Amino acid sequence: MEIPLLITAFCALLQVIPYYLNIPVIDAASGTMREWMLLVVNMAVFVGVISLGQVHGKRIQRKGENWPFSVVLIAFMVFMAIVGFPLENIGLGFKNNQYLFMFNNILNPLGGTMYSILAFFITSAAYRAFRARNWEAAFVLISGTIVVMSNAPLFTSSMPFLITWKNWIFDVPNTATGRGVMIGAALGAIALAVRTLMGIERGYLRGGGEE
Amino acid sequence: MIPMWELIGVWTAVLMTLAIYSFLYGENPWYRLAEHIFAGVSVGYAVAFNLDYLRDQWVNKWSLSGTLVLLYMIAIFFGILWYARFSKKYFFAYRWTLAIIVGTGIGMALRTVIFTQFLNQIMAQARLSLWVPGDLLQSFSNTMIAIMVPCVLLYFWFTGPARDRGPMKYIEKFARYTMMAGFGAAFGYTVLTRYSLFIGRAQFLLGITPNPPEARMAFYVIAAAILITLFAKDHLFKKT
Amino acid sequence: MSILEKMQNIDRRYIYLAAWIFVLFPLFFPLGLPVPIGRESVAWFDYIEAIPDDSVIIVSMDYGVSGMPELYPMTVATMHHLWTNCQANNWKIIVLAFWNQGPLVFDTLLTQIDPAADYNVVYGEDWVELGWVPGAETGMAALATDMWSQTPRDYLEDRPLTEYPIMAEILTADDIDLVISIETGTPGLPEWLRQWNDPFGVPFIVGCIGVSVPGMAPYLSSGQLTALLPGLTASGEYELLLNRPGLAVAGLDAVSMSHLLVVLLVVIGNVSYFASRGKEVS
Repeated sequence: MEIPLLITAFCALLQVIPYYLNIPVIDAASGTMREWMLLVVNMAVFVGVISLGQVHGKRIQRKGENWPFSVVLIAFMVFMAIVGFPLENIGLGFKNNQYLFMFNNILNPLGGTMYSILAFFITSAAYRAFRARNWEAAFVLISGTIVVMSNAPLFTSSMPFLITWKNWIFDVPNTATGRGVMIGAALGAIALAVRTLMGIERGYLRGGGEE
Repeated sequence: MIPMWELIGVWTAVLMTLAIYSFLYGENPWYRLAEHIFAGVSVGYAVAFNLDYLRDQWVNKWSLSGTLVLLYMIAIFFGILWYARFSKKYFFAYRWTLAIIVGTGIGMALRTVIFTQFLNQIMAQARLSLWVPGDLLQSFSNTMIAIMVPCVLLYFWFTGPARDRGPMKYIEKFARYTMMAGFGAAFGYTVLTRYSLFIGRAQFLLGITPNPPEARMAFYVIAAAILITLFAKDHLFKKT
Repeated sequence: MSILEKMQNIDRRYIYLAAWIFVLFPLFFPLGLPVPIGRESVAWFDYIEAIPDDSVIIVSMDYGVSGMPELYPMTVATMHHLWTNCQANNWKIIVLAFWNQGPLVFDTLLTQIDPAADYNVVYGEDWVELGWVPGAETGMAALATDMWSQTPRDYLEDRPLTEYPIMAEILTADDIDLVISIETGTPGLPEWLRQWNDPFGVPFIVGCIGVSVPGMAPYLSSGQLTALLPGLTASGEYELLLNRPGLAVAGLDAVSMSHLLVVLLVVIGNVSYFASRGKEVS
């Protein structure tokens, strides 16, 4: 466990020190390290492919629940990976027609729809759970309703004072909340970073069935 | 008339969209199918861009000198160690690569987070004028922010029994009301985002420009087909 | 079961159906509701109008397909605004992305708009697209110190940057006068501020989805963020300021109706709740 901790500390200090001290050699090394690290990050491209392959491959092998869907998943994953391979001289790559077809007609609509479905759940939640049960809930309800109404031209065209109220909510309690949380989070992030540098925080190194 | 491949693409996109929305009726095979396709395509999609970047970097930079070639090979070595996570015996090697990424990331964030998310915010707070001549509302607002921010901070710093003692009783209550008003605003904007996304999909389904107009017919046909299958499945199960 | 109890326990699928009806109705039958212009869209419009001559502007496509419905209209409107004034003000526009789907989203824009034909701008002289820069915050830091190293070739034509006059004097973040980030999450403004604004003093304006808006307030208040375009409603207002109603304006009636539904449901829900509580007490 010691080598990774030393690597973490070294890499972190290599980024922090040149920002505060003008040492050209370390500055150059820091810049090269940033670019070099991006190569390492991009090499992780097949981790997701292998992980999904393992989970769904096992399901197919054991004919587990919904295993035909796992076949579909792996088929689409492999097909997308193959047609996107950067071999433009044989017609593959991310400007390949099949790749663009999959992006425009499958990934694009699915991605947009997955997130938009939450609109229905938020509406159902607004009806079933958004109650002014106490003063705090009333505060959420009132400010939420004002902001919802002020985002709709239907209301703001006939009740322009809603925009003024929304601006006040945005500028005062919302900013205050955001600022307080941000300052607290920044202190927490600094503390976590220092703990990681010192080797006290080791959570990111867990796994592999050891210790 | 649009080319056949484009028409097939439009019908595929409508099918994918409505298959996800069929979840609103209840869990069903259409939704499962679309969900699995999405997972597969999302993962396969990124392969193209990542490999293209590695190839471009090699051609344009890292192949240009002996030292850079050596560094690139070392990067490949550490990159291969990512896959040690799938082995119990060699899992320790995966930690080396992870340590490089985590360490560099921490260093990148640590060096300026103290300015962007701490000092700049403190300075903005300190710059607030509690009295703005001629503008009572602004004076009131600035005073409120000047009180609210420390209250919110103290709320998070003093937890448990510390909140029930002395002035913390009142600070805690004031902070909660501040945050509730802020969260209400967050709810309001969340409604806007989710409905904007749904409206965008609805504009596509209805073939509203610049979306292809052929989508509307596909919407009617596929929606009817999915609804019929869902009602039939529901009705048949109920009968049996 | 009393009517109040029935109201509180209504099958949620009826609520979903109501949402479909309230959104589809104004798309079938546009209501043409008036749209008041808010301060955010005015500030965004005025800021772009006031960008000094000879400025180098980065437009960062920091979103993917999931954010397209809300952010694509503002991207189109912003690019229209930039390209319209590009040559008159001698602006240099660099389009890039820190989300790997960003370039493909911009490809969609280019199928609907032809910058050369519509705005008379020359690719490689007035604007260039550098494509995806990987690595999130680390990539931003790397790009800030050496732009050519991170993006040695352009995205559209896949040619070396040496072949484009626009890039001749653009090497680091010091050479950039403004970053316009259209974003949906991470990496986004906090990362940009840490790697570009604080070390190099590059000013920022951001267009974002509604969910991100509350988190932008402290940055706006402290001056780290100069202008903000929050969500679809503000995008529609911006399109009207440009006299170019587009997708955002087309969706505003549906925004109004959907928000009306939410408000109605909240009111009905609370009325039935308090009425049933009153009945229990009595």
